[in-house]
Amino acid sequence: MNNHQINQTQLSPGPLAGRGTSFIDFDQISKSFEIDGQKVVALENVTFNLSEGEFAAIIGPSGCGKSTALRIIAALEEPTSGTVTIAGQPPTQQSTEHALGVAFQDHALLPWLNVAENIELPFRISGRPVTAERIDELISLVGLTEFKSARPKQLSGGMRQRVSIARALALSPQLLLLDEPFGSLDAVTRRRMNIELQRIWSEFRPSTLLVTHAVEEALFLADRIFVLTGRPGRLLREVDVPFERPRTDDTMRSEFFHRMVDEMTAALDSTENAPQYAVESLD
Amino acid sequence: MATQYQNDKFSLKPWFIQFISRYWAILLFLVVWQAWVVINAFNPIVAVGPFAVLSDLINHPEIYLSNMFITFVVALGGLASGMILGSLLAIASWFSRFVSAMLTPLAVMFASVPVVALIPIFARLFGFNITTSLFVVVVITFFPSFVFTSSGLRSLPPGSEDLFRVLGAGRLTVLWRLALPAALPNMAIALRLSASHAVLAAMVAEFLMGTTGLGFLFAQNLERFATERAFGAGLVATIASVAMFLVANAIESHIHRRWT
Amino acid sequence: MPSNRWIKNALPGALGILLFLLIWELLGRTGVLGLTWPPLTSVIATLIDPSKTALFLRATSASLTSAGTGYLAGGALGLVAALAGHLIPTLQEGLSRFAAVVNSVPPIALASVFLVLVTTESTPTAVAAIKVFFIIFIAVQSGLRSATPAQHDLFTSLGTGRFKRLWLLEVPTMLPVAMSGLKIAVPVALIGAFVGEWFGASRGLGVLILNAMQNFQISMLWSAVLLATLVSLAVYFILTMVESIVRLRLT
Repeated sequence: MNNHQINQTQLSPGPLAGRGTSFIDFDQISKSFEIDGQKVVALENVTFNLSEGEFAAIIGPSGCGKSTALRIIAALEEPTSGTVTIAGQPPTQQSTEHALGVAFQDHALLPWLNVAENIELPFRISGRPVTAERIDELISLVGLTEFKSARPKQLSGGMRQRVSIARALALSPQLLLLDEPFGSLDAVTRRRMNIELQRIWSEFRPSTLLVTHAVEEALFLADRIFVLTGRPGRLLREVDVPFERPRTDDTMRSEFFHRMVDEMTAALDSTENAPQYAVESLD
Repeated sequence: MATQYQNDKFSLKPWFIQFISRYWAILLFLVVWQAWVVINAFNPIVAVGPFAVLSDLINHPEIYLSNMFITFVVALGGLASGMILGSLLAIASWFSRFVSAMLTPLAVMFASVPVVALIPIFARLFGFNITTSLFVVVVITFFPSFVFTSSGLRSLPPGSEDLFRVLGAGRLTVLWRLALPAALPNMAIALRLSASHAVLAAMVAEFLMGTTGLGFLFAQNLERFATERAFGAGLVATIASVAMFLVANAIESHIHRRWT
Repeated sequence: MPSNRWIKNALPGALGILLFLLIWELLGRTGVLGLTWPPLTSVIATLIDPSKTALFLRATSASLTSAGTGYLAGGALGLVAALAGHLIPTLQEGLSRFAAVVNSVPPIALASVFLVLVTTESTPTAVAAIKVFFIIFIAVQSGLRSATPAQHDLFTSLGTGRFKRLWLLEVPTMLPVAMSGLKIAVPVALIGAFVGEWFGASRGLGVLILNAMQNFQISMLWSAVLLATLVSLAVYFILTMVESIVRLRLT
């Protein structure tokens, strides 16, 4: 196990630091919305970058704009100012080239398709050839082989999210975006899903960005964590996660892990992070 | 791309562009109509263009207004009565699940029956007069109102029934404070659906029975081959129907916004 | 047991219908409402009278044909118009308002207009078509717009072209709503056909009803109206079944 001292973790290099070139460049991004005539600032001059093959997480209090950041990278929103590039291209390029996989907060499974057909959807849209074996592979990857003909309404919340993740991975995407995928699950299922996700991710190692408000989840899954403040969302700090992969149950049980969780939770609770506007969440 | 699928923000286009984009199809239709009449050089007893219709309307407003008033009274009176009676019956049957289960399939059936086909029966039963026209509109409105109010009374927010039981509320309290407010949006939907039907049904009734009103005006002038006046009656009825629908729609939107 | 539950739900409804039929019969027998309300039994007797069967069959098939043709034509037109408005947003508002106005024109005015434009025999079809058009137009339009923003985002993130989005997302979402519209449009098509027939058609249930009313043939009047109602209910019922199958499969 690791013997690192706990300090202000901002600058301690993690296992993957310095590896690969900058893949996502999120540069001085600001995003504001108009809600009921009031201007609400979701993100303010946020800058970070992600290397290829890195797993990063964005955490922060509810309504701090972390989903907005993810949506900008997914080319579902445009920033008010600042530039985003992915592999040097604008974000729209990723979806045009069908190189983007997204698992949404509410799974967005199509109710008229069964599990296999939902996972097949990216193939149908991109026109890429697909074999039954490939679909079966993806289904067994998320452990749902017996349910391949079931329809979403017959599945539990956790199972639906697993289908959503399998679908996000279907085209072996360059970039994987996860928007609070386990937000609606109970704590036990969530822990299990985190372990599953780590296992699945290790098979392909796509560049991944996870949005979550659960500190344990971020610490368990990510190589780097970006901590956002409350609205307006500003980057408070970057944290390099020192745990070695593969991470296991033991990692989560270690005292070091617990102390990091406590320290980050305290950082999130500090007054710097208190939301400054009394409007509902933008996430 | 995401914004394409959200509601359009308030448009800043100049008013004439807005006008054209909203009414282009209607304007196009009017132009084609007038052109059609002119090109074919129809004998006026066969067909007339929109200009002829409008000028008759403007030159003889009293005839139109007096008949429109009657049709309106029939339509509004029938609409109001039908909605009130339908809701009252729904409330009454709410007290008994059994009665409700008994009446609802019957009402759904009647609501999906071509009521216009029943007008001749009503005419023979109650005579060829205005009361019968009123009755027709009442029938058209009654059944949808009953069906929608009944379903509304039963679509309570989850957990609210338990809440009221825990608070020891009596039946009437539950009705007044929970079921009726819950039913209001559905009642508004029934109103919107019936509003435009009311005018048109009143007109068909007047047409068949020869009482006064826009339907009669239409029939009478069709017989006399005074086509402009007949079309004029049709036009006024269309406007009345659109107006009723817009008002009912506004009421429904307001209730939907406030209540849900 | 599921069959027990079904019986429990259907029984009161059946009872209600039975009670209604009983009251009808009694009112007729006792003559409380006069000659113009015959007992149910005599109405049914007229309906199944063998000498009248050919007449009723001819009338029913004529009305069903014009209503049916109008239903299909109006439905197809409504579908096309809704798709056009959906794919070309600039056309949308104008089309919607036009459809709303057309729907507000009294059917009798429509019928008189069509007398000029098409033959007397085709007028019932035309009126039915116009009435059905509006309902299907609204249903398809609303259905095409009912996919959730999350579903749209999914398709955007997958880099979907316009037509694939339409075919893979918007159309499946639209189908259940369209089915409801198709169901509601059935009695409307029949009404349109009847009103159209009142303007000079030679055959049809509407013709039978009008003639019976004008000639004070009470039994015939009631039988024709009952037949029209039964036909309408039968088709409506079939479509209700289809609708629930569609809903089960697609949602």
